Amino acid sequence: MLTKIASGDIIDPVNGRLGKGDLWIKDDKIVPAPAGGAADRIIEASGCIVMAGAIDIHSHIGGGNVNTARLLLPEQHAAHQVRPATTPLSNAGWSTFQTGCLYAKMGFTTVVEPAMSPGAALHTHLELADIPIIDKATLAILGNDDFLLSMIRDDAPRTMIEDYVAWTVASTRALGVKVINAGAAAAFKENVRTFSLDDVVPSYGVSSRKIVKTLQAAVDSLGLPHPLHVHCNNLGSPGSADTAAATIAAADGLPLHLAHLQFYGYGTEGKRGFSSAAARLAELVNATPEVTIDIGQVMFGQTVTVSSDVMRQFSARGSAHPKKTVIHDGDGNGGGIVPYSYGKDFYGTMQWAIGLELFLLIDDPWRVFFTTDHPNGAPFTAYPALFELLMSREARTEMTAGLSSSALALSTLAAIDREYTFEEIAIMTRAAPAKLLGLTDRGHLGAGATADIAIYRRDRSIAKMLGRAAYVFKDGDLVVQDGEIIHYRWGKALRLKPPVDKAMVRRLEDYHQQRYGLSLDWFNFPDSAIAREQPFGEVPCRT
Amino acid sequence: MAVAWIGNREALIEHAAAHAASLLSSSRCPVFSFDTDIDGTRAAIALAERAGAAYDHADGAALARETALFTDKGAMTVAPGETRRRADVVVIVGELPRIHHGLVGELAGTVPDLSTGNQREFFVVGPNGMSVPPLNGGRKATQLSCGQSSLAATLAALRAQYKGQRTSQPVSNFNDFAKALAAAHFPVFLFSGHAAEGLALEMLQGLIADLNRKSRASGLHLPANENGWGSTLASAWMTGFPLRTGFARGFPEFDPWRCDVARMIAAGEADLHLRISATTAQPKEKKRRIALIALTKTQEPVAGAAVTIAIGEAGVDHDAVVYSSRTGSLRSIDAQAASQLPSAATIIRLIATHAFAEAPPC
Ligand SMILES: [Zn+2]
Repeated sequence: MLTKIASGDIIDPVNGRLGKGDLWIKDDKIVPAPAGGAADRIIEASGCIVMAGAIDIHSHIGGGNVNTARLLLPEQHAAHQVRPATTPLSNAGWSTFQTGCLYAKMGFTTVVEPAMSPGAALHTHLELADIPIIDKATLAILGNDDFLLSMIRDDAPRTMIEDYVAWTVASTRALGVKVINAGAAAAFKENVRTFSLDDVVPSYGVSSRKIVKTLQAAVDSLGLPHPLHVHCNNLGSPGSADTAAATIAAADGLPLHLAHLQFYGYGTEGKRGFSSAAARLAELVNATPEVTIDIGQVMFGQTVTVSSDVMRQFSARGSAHPKKTVIHDGDGNGGGIVPYSYGKDFYGTMQWAIGLELFLLIDDPWRVFFTTDHPNGAPFTAYPALFELLMSREARTEMTAGLSSSALALSTLAAIDREYTFEEIAIMTRAAPAKLLGLTDRGHLGAGATADIAIYRRDRSIAKMLGRAAYVFKDGDLVVQDGEIIHYRWGKALRLKPPVDKAMVRRLEDYHQQRYGLSLDWFNFPDSAIAREQPFGEVPCRT
Repeated sequence: MAVAWIGNREALIEHAAAHAASLLSSSRCPVFSFDTDIDGTRAAIALAERAGAAYDHADGAALARETALFTDKGAMTVAPGETRRRADVVVIVGELPRIHHGLVGELAGTVPDLSTGNQREFFVVGPNGMSVPPLNGGRKATQLSCGQSSLAATLAALRAQYKGQRTSQPVSNFNDFAKALAAAHFPVFLFSGHAAEGLALEMLQGLIADLNRKSRASGLHLPANENGWGSTLASAWMTGFPLRTGFARGFPEFDPWRCDVARMIAAGEADLHLRISATTAQPKEKKRRIALIALTKTQEPVAGAAVTIAIGEAGVDHDAVVYSSRTGSLRSIDAQAASQLPSAATIIRLIATHAFAEAPPC
């Protein structure tokens, strides 16, 4: 089928296409304007902007910890609407089905679950397979697992470590590797309560820095497109900006991605010993081209923090609202679920302002990524409001009226004039994520690209405009019209398939037999276990 | 071989499914109970949404106690693999379901390789005379009990004594326990809703929280029913809620009392029961005037059922994904003796396509 999207304002920074024009789709791909020009379907897009489907690189949408959070908080996600005719279970609050629908309505077509515990890979992929419409991907967590820590302790050859990383990525069907408070979860099992970049995991004698550097090198050497995705130490503590600064410095010329930098943007100034270090961190990011970051913006209201940083979550138990938590010591990281409400008090305001400062003070939209670390800083449903804050200084000023003035006094936010343009939004939420993840088929509107397209009707309210897309195409299927889902389809989980070394498989088989009394078969699964047609899409490694 | 019946008459699967669908469509208050794999659960919940049904595990009471621990209080838990590799003190809390006895035996037959002492001590909490899983190598578990006091009361006494508070009746062998805890690096408490009341599970978590003030400890959740916990997980991601959720108003509502399917049947609220369990042919409830659709592994019609359709057993007749308490997560298993019998999910979807125009999403 040939579709013409007619007379829209096209915003495609990758291909340098900006301005009024037509866009053509044949089946699931974008194509050049055909010679004859007879479309089977015409989408009238005058008065609309046309962008590639958005890509979220860090949103906790599925897997063991997210599902435990659902169990812990049944009172917080009641549905209130009956089932719509064409989209079963899409009104079930915080369900996989609702997740896919809400993302698609905003024009997002690919979302990365950034914290898949390797032992729960099958569970994670089953959840993701029940998220309709969009494509998904996962990052596999390493860095607190005994197998890796033992290899580092024993000075195992680099290639052996790379074989292990490759096996993990291949067997868990991941798109990359994440390390979460490297070494801290292992140390916490030995009753260590705080852990920094140069602290050493007891029993292994391996520092957090060494774990990060080892994994960063392995990811790079294996040609995994996405750089090592790092959740630094000391998340949320006053003074954590020092840890983030030290981690940025540790990148040392090799690509490194730092997740939810907002949660490390904290200095120790002021009478409460809690201040904004955003300007300092932004300057460091600006000066370190090999580093990319996402924000983890805080927005006000009730949410739940879901993290595999079990040490941090344990220490945050006292702040739980409502007062209940789950803390799990897993085979590697485990995790913690702590419900939390961000108030407009000093601390909430500070966090909100720090996130915005980082967004606005980091110059290069190719290196700063749009996230709330869903649901940790805010649920992803806050995205439209956040776009508005980035694109409108007036919206920020209006918002600050009800916030803590003593917090705002310790932040540079009020002095920042910058407003993101649509072109910068297209880079930050489309082009740059595709590049960072190695997804050459999306994030742009060039011929041959996958027909993931979001069309927004211009409106004075940016939140309204970007919150309800006029049309969304996924793989060429029209899935959203006037902000409503009109068609269910099933996306894929994008994965890498690095070659697996047979000696490593034997070594792991022995290890599992000896240490767990179980064959490796207990952790492997065939694609057919997902019970959907073609559940995975393969992304090539760098050569 | 017959595989489907309408009443006592043999029928084609298509006809039996169509009849089941018509019963479902005309039901005022349908209820589903199941003991099935992940795919069966997904299909059943998708059908429940369409039919406006409430759903529960076939033996839901113990699971409901475990679920309530998470929905109401939260918990500290540890993975089974970490328990094997790290637990230097293992405390068996109350009677555990038989399915977990193998794991307990294995813990007794191994030492924790990630613990400096490389040894393991066993305790058991509960009334004198409770059944204890056999420990390998002739090992003994030290009993912690307050005579015939309930598990919750014993745990309360244990917690109080640990905090140095006076208790009306002291816990037997407490000094041994205190000594073991003082030396332990990672004690793990094995718990289940099988025999433990909600209050006992809560009290245990209180004790674990107390221990974690200064040192480490955690609990290993050994579900009363593995399929049941697998279904709980799938239900949570599909609807946001655990089992005992209903769609009477067209959207999912979690209500562990109202949607207790056994209660709904006993109280006469339900008028149709879809029972999905390869391994249990006969429903436990007394015969009521309620239509039964039975999906089970059988060669004959289930007595009193309006419709019976034979299904295979997950992991025996067909490949499946199930919850494994040995790994603490979902696991893919191959058919041990692959057969022609359809899976529960296949039959549920067949009924769904007969009852409703659109194909179900799961
Ligand atoms: Zn995160």
